[in-house]
Amino acid sequence: MAPPAEVLAVRGLSKTFPGVRALDDVDLTLHAGEVHALIGENGAGKSTLIKLLTGVHRPDAGDIVFLGRDVSFATPLEAQRAGISTIYQEVNLIPLLSVARNLFLGREPRNRLGLLDFARMNREAEEALRAYGVRVDVRRPLRSLGVGAQQMVALARAVASEARIVIMDEPTSSLEPREVETLFSVIRRLRDEGIAVIYVSHRLDELYAVCDTVTVLRDGRRVHHGRLAELDRLSLVSTMLGRELGEVRKEGLTKFTGDHHATDGQPVLEASELTVPHQLHGVSVSIRPGEVVGLGGLLGSGRTETAKAISGALPTTSGTVMVAGAPLRRGSTPAAIRAGISLLPEDRKSEGIVPGLSVRENISLAVLPRLSRFGLVSEARVDSIVDTFIERLRIKASSPQQKVGELSGGNQQKVLLARWLAMNPKVLLLDEPTRGIDVGAKAEVQKLVDELAADGLGVLLISSDLEELIEGSDRVVVLKDGAVVGELAGDEVTEDKLMRTIAGHAPDRDAVEEAATDG
Amino acid sequence: MAEAALKTVPLDRTRILQWLQTYGVYAGVALLLVVNTVITPHFLSAENFRTQAVQVAPVIIVALGMALVIGTEGVDLSVGAVMALAASVTALYLGYGLVPALLVVAVFAAAVGFANGALVAFIGVQPIVATLALMVGGRGLALVLLPQLEDLRNPALASLGSGDVLGIPYLILIAAVLAGLVAFVVRRTTFGRQLLAIGDSRPAAQLAGLPVRRVLIVVYVVCALLAAVAGVLATARLQASDPTSLGNLMELSAITAVVVGGTPLTGGRVNIAGTVAGAVLIQLLTATLIKHDLPPSWTQIAQAIVIVCAVYAARGRGKR
Amino acid sequence: MQRTTHRSLLIARPVVVALAAAVALTATSCAKSEDDAADSKKSPAAAGAEQQVVTPKPGSETCTVDAYGGKKIDLKDATVGFSQSEKEANPFRIAETQSIKDEADKRGVKLLTANAQSQFSKQISDVQDLLAKGADLLVIAPLNSDGWDPVLQAAAAKKVPIVTIDRKINATACKDYVSFIASDFVEQGRRAADQMIEATGGKGEVAILLGSAGNNVTTERTKGFKERVAEKAPDLKVVFEQTGDFTREKGQQVTEQLIQSKPGIKGIYAENDEMGLGAVAALKGAGKKAGDVKIVTVDGTRNAVQGVVDGWISGVIESNPRFGPLAFQTLDDFTQGKEVHQDIIIQDSAYNADNAEQDLGKAY
Repeated sequence: MAPPAEVLAVRGLSKTFPGVRALDDVDLTLHAGEVHALIGENGAGKSTLIKLLTGVHRPDAGDIVFLGRDVSFATPLEAQRAGISTIYQEVNLIPLLSVARNLFLGREPRNRLGLLDFARMNREAEEALRAYGVRVDVRRPLRSLGVGAQQMVALARAVASEARIVIMDEPTSSLEPREVETLFSVIRRLRDEGIAVIYVSHRLDELYAVCDTVTVLRDGRRVHHGRLAELDRLSLVSTMLGRELGEVRKEGLTKFTGDHHATDGQPVLEASELTVPHQLHGVSVSIRPGEVVGLGGLLGSGRTETAKAISGALPTTSGTVMVAGAPLRRGSTPAAIRAGISLLPEDRKSEGIVPGLSVRENISLAVLPRLSRFGLVSEARVDSIVDTFIERLRIKASSPQQKVGELSGGNQQKVLLARWLAMNPKVLLLDEPTRGIDVGAKAEVQKLVDELAADGLGVLLISSDLEELIEGSDRVVVLKDGAVVGELAGDEVTEDKLMRTIAGHAPDRDAVEEAATDG
Repeated sequence: MAEAALKTVPLDRTRILQWLQTYGVYAGVALLLVVNTVITPHFLSAENFRTQAVQVAPVIIVALGMALVIGTEGVDLSVGAVMALAASVTALYLGYGLVPALLVVAVFAAAVGFANGALVAFIGVQPIVATLALMVGGRGLALVLLPQLEDLRNPALASLGSGDVLGIPYLILIAAVLAGLVAFVVRRTTFGRQLLAIGDSRPAAQLAGLPVRRVLIVVYVVCALLAAVAGVLATARLQASDPTSLGNLMELSAITAVVVGGTPLTGGRVNIAGTVAGAVLIQLLTATLIKHDLPPSWTQIAQAIVIVCAVYAARGRGKR
Repeated sequence: MQRTTHRSLLIARPVVVALAAAVALTATSCAKSEDDAADSKKSPAAAGAEQQVVTPKPGSETCTVDAYGGKKIDLKDATVGFSQSEKEANPFRIAETQSIKDEADKRGVKLLTANAQSQFSKQISDVQDLLAKGADLLVIAPLNSDGWDPVLQAAAAKKVPIVTIDRKINATACKDYVSFIASDFVEQGRRAADQMIEATGGKGEVAILLGSAGNNVTTERTKGFKERVAEKAPDLKVVFEQTGDFTREKGQQVTEQLIQSKPGIKGIYAENDEMGLGAVAALKGAGKKAGDVKIVTVDGTRNAVQGVVDGWISGVIESNPRFGPLAFQTLDDFTQGKEVHQDIIIQDSAYNADNAEQDLGKAY
């Protein structure tokens, strides 16, 4: 048997965005009937690579050879017409149009008069969908379908347009286990038909279930490629996170000193059995005063969701949060803040700062009612607090009146920290506190976290930066697919252990689901 | 050389746009004053300025509330209907005296504002849809309460409409005091800052623990109360309650004043001085065209041009 | 035709109406308006206010029951259906409906009424309902001129004669309907000009407060006024024409601007009473005295005629809303087999300083 034909050959692809080398000299080869896993942590360059392949962005350097021809797509539509279809995480169809119209969007069958041939469209749509286990009235609007069924329509659409390559970007993130199975059988059928699939996911089980080959990206570079079966889970995780197993770790890569110690006795925060449909399946975390607890896990494992659920920003269906022994009202951010919980959100720009307001107003935002009498702001007290924190956190702004939107990422983060420290919190939830900020600011933030813990605060630290997580945390709770799969304490807090925990435990999804419903 | 030119041109344009956005409305008012002084007979007289101020006062009062709502990234289309409702409720309860009637008006207006705010804050209806419902329903209610124009002879109401202090009509004084009050609230109170934060970034405000819903409801209630004040004053000036026509298209005049005054529709900023100037600009523009007996369609076209200019000047802000 | 008072766009949905009604009930149950103490509402059917027909030109077209294709009936035993176009929210509509009702009572005719609340589709179904309920004769105050085919067909099938009042429908007289009864707006404009010429002595500068733009009442009342002024008093100059939208508030605002910029203005012709009353308010506010500026208005509402009595308004041209007697007379004649005119133009009266006080009771 002759080896399958090469469908796609990418050579030396590079792309730079202002300030970021998003993709650096990446190669990728894809054969007919190959299911190729594309993995990497946040910012590794997966989405950039996909966007270059589908014509969303143009590469700065490198070639894309598709079906033996050098191509350069100007638009996603062009790429799709040529035979590269993409299914995004969020369904990108038109909810109000009928299922059939969506399926044939942009390539509707027409009759001799040039008008849409609805009868034919509906008939063909029904046939096409039946192959994906979707039996619906194709004349109904798309939005009347469940998310899973919509995902299938998107898939059917991608395949029906005579694609040679189908790119799936986290296609299972909103699917039920049964729907995942359907998806897998569709993928296997595509493989049999000689269509190549690029499969992006963070769920290791899924990767091992359907993928043949793998490319691992890290910091915009390809760090590994080959057959997936030849790479065990632990090596996969370590490659992804950029850590050699058994490597002797150099101390002091971060500014964490670790000279804070949890006091014994009552935990200041006790979250138990937090459940959010599709996202968290009974997560429990407790933090004692003066303790930094890390949340470990891959992207999409439920770290951010855990922090949000604790802070009341993500409504839970069950589970409790206790602060210093007192239960918290469910799903209320103000209540959580009053009780002393402060969340530094992951998405600093859209959920953290109020960009149009000044540094002064941003710092004083949460604490304002305490600085006011009868609703009137005491400007003097605001000034004194703002000045204190600008000095203490070394916030660099031209003046307290400067708009926060104009500051650097590090200074924005410090403004947010100042906003919360002004509230005298008991628990700080830090979601990626140092992401996207420069080295200097990063070190300062890390040092600050240490100091705050030493002062007796309970800190929950989420970080994709392993060094930060390991050196900064007294304890690490490891999450996977929305559930706690392990906890490392004391001497166990090492990168090796962490990666083993992430990779090792591999309960199948159904078991997790069951465990969740039991809880 | 050419490169240098290319670089400086857009810079200059941004600067001009910024200048226009901040000071354009004042420049427009100044320009109209100068032009009218030259071309309009009898323009420079105290009576003329009083006339313009008295006519613009209700628009300013409504626009103040509208500015607050727009500051939260919302809009309130029901202000005209609330004016009409205020007019008919005033007529209906004037038999008890002016003050009791005004209290009942306040209750009705607050109820409409609360309904608007609750729809927006709790149910999550888009402001334009929520207030559209109240715009239709509010005027309907006003007409059910008082089906036709009714003359009012209450002397207290009459003096509210046409009386003055040291030659300054009550209408102007009330508008000035309210403008000062609203500006103070925006700048100096917790409520004002929370309002701006909510308008600028609702998710951030929510995560910062601000009472987002409460602030939104209060904003819509305040907006309705201000519209009711404008409705009562307009009724007092007319000495008749006319719910069929009072406040017609007022929502558009108010939005125009706010936008022309440099408050962006995207929320997070409220420019009270600009809003007042915006209302004055439109008033002077209309007055100029009427005084020179130009066809009414010209007024509409001129207003459209002013709005387009304002939106163009505001465009620069969109790119953050 | 739009009536001369500004119309509300009442597009309230049933729910809103129900809600409003509920609130209205609670609100009005303890309401107390100024008028409650001393009931000043006078009997709307004042003596001597009936419409009179302009003597038709000889040879103008007529219609008989034979030509129309109906059958003779006795009006006393008949059921008459009346379809009103708009909510009775202004003096004109109130007087119009009341007049029809009073005349039916007086003649002992059974009357069915419906109100379309300014929705044309509702008016069509209203009329169809009236037919279904057994109306033998129809009086319609149409909201629109067009779109009446379904109703006309239904009426023709039942041979039900139709009289339209105050607005014509686009259809063939004496085939689709019998007669059309209305005022002549151009003539109202001419007569207003006569009053203005008399009041000002035919010299000086005058202003017009126009009605809503794009409204035939506005165009026709303007046309008549200007024609007559040009013809009889060339020294009277129209120097200002701005719209007051048929509302008192706009009339007041525009007049305020007017008297600032043209202090020498001698007269103001307001195309309805409300704008005229707005002009009076503006003049009062500017410290003018009654009679300083001559005001002539059209409609004949009680407030405006009171203005004449008080000296603020020089003349009011009536646009008579009391269609009842004339409509029923027409139907009576027609059903008895007599000839009736296809277009019946009403003779509107006028109020000025000489007759205002004694005729105040005739105003609506």
